[in-house]
Amino acid sequence: MVRIALVGAGVTGDRIAKRLDVLMPGCTVVVFDARGDLGEAAGCDVAILAHGGRQVGSTTKLVTAGVPVVSTADNVDDVRSLVELDDLAGRHDVQLVAGAGMSPGLTGLLARYLADQLERCDEIHIAVHGTAGPACARQHHRALAGHAMGLHDGEQISRPAGSGRELCWFPEPVGAYDCYRAELASPMLLGALFTDVGRISARMSANRRDRLTARLPMLSPPHREGGVGAVRVELRGADAAGRRVTLIAGVAELVATCAAATAVAFAAAIVRGDLPTGLTVAGDSSLDTVGLLHDIERLGVRLQEFTGIPHPAHPAPAAHAPTTANKDTT
Amino acid sequence: MLWGMKLIRGAISAILLAATFAAALRVRGTGGTPPQHGGWRPLELPER
Repeated sequence: MVRIALVGAGVTGDRIAKRLDVLMPGCTVVVFDARGDLGEAAGCDVAILAHGGRQVGSTTKLVTAGVPVVSTADNVDDVRSLVELDDLAGRHDVQLVAGAGMSPGLTGLLARYLADQLERCDEIHIAVHGTAGPACARQHHRALAGHAMGLHDGEQISRPAGSGRELCWFPEPVGAYDCYRAELASPMLLGALFTDVGRISARMSANRRDRLTARLPMLSPPHREGGVGAVRVELRGADAAGRRVTLIAGVAELVATCAAATAVAFAAAIVRGDLPTGLTVAGDSSLDTVGLLHDIERLGVRLQEFTGIPHPAHPAPAAHAPTTANKDTT
Repeated sequence: MLWGMKLIRGAISAILLAATFAAALRVRGTGGTPPQHGGWRPLELPER
């Protein structure tokens, strides 16, 4: 009998609990409060962290107790701290998945899936729209007030969050939104995985009020759950013939559903024994990315690709195409 | 009264001028045909 420790019972945690049975039928779910003692989680096959705030503390406790961890953290400092727990996880012979939500997480898997179709990948651009629960909304608010990391021509750059407006087209029904640089963890994680890529950026949608009030406390309490969110991953590179190719994949779904599906897919991979001990990051070339994406689809997330103008043959449907998908208005 | 007539004549002239420009652009414009296909479609993952 598989026993899963679920830390956090917010919107994402609730959705994780409802989806675990799809990939791990008959599993037992034990819900813990992150503020409490996690000692009782020892003995669980895997722990999924879906609570707000920093997750590095919970992760350290669980890894030390010998419990594999799947973390949905998306705060940059938190994710950086989780990555530094690689040695600790290795010493305790457990798996640790850092950033297994929508972004980072699903974005990394989509980036790897698209990169595998290219002979050479030069650029990765990620855009995110929407939030899950209140903790996610607060993180969204903070992300617009920090410093956005990125990679430009091979050099790490830091730009003020809220700058770099770009009109990004997400899958329907979300459509087009102005997106801005934000303090997101994806460029940091993808930069370490895609070492040959020269440019990496991550943006999130925001309106004028979001940008104006980003450096102030939240003026109104966040919604219990945001509406339909979306994510968009664009890769530019070259195919085997040397032609310039742009591939775009995306998702339009409730953010909590995407995050839950990604976390559950990774948890199931740990239970199956598919992941090595130590740190794992979504987008790693050693992962069974297609298998994980299949699992995510089984959990109710519809993956989409942007086809642009018609193209005769699969497997390069978006080649030369999506110039209309993204219009830089900076 | 005279002022009102001037205003109406001005408005009609502006509308006619705009219509002329629009017609010229419509007939002579070379903006091309916007994409009739494309957009987002479900991602077909390869079998495991």
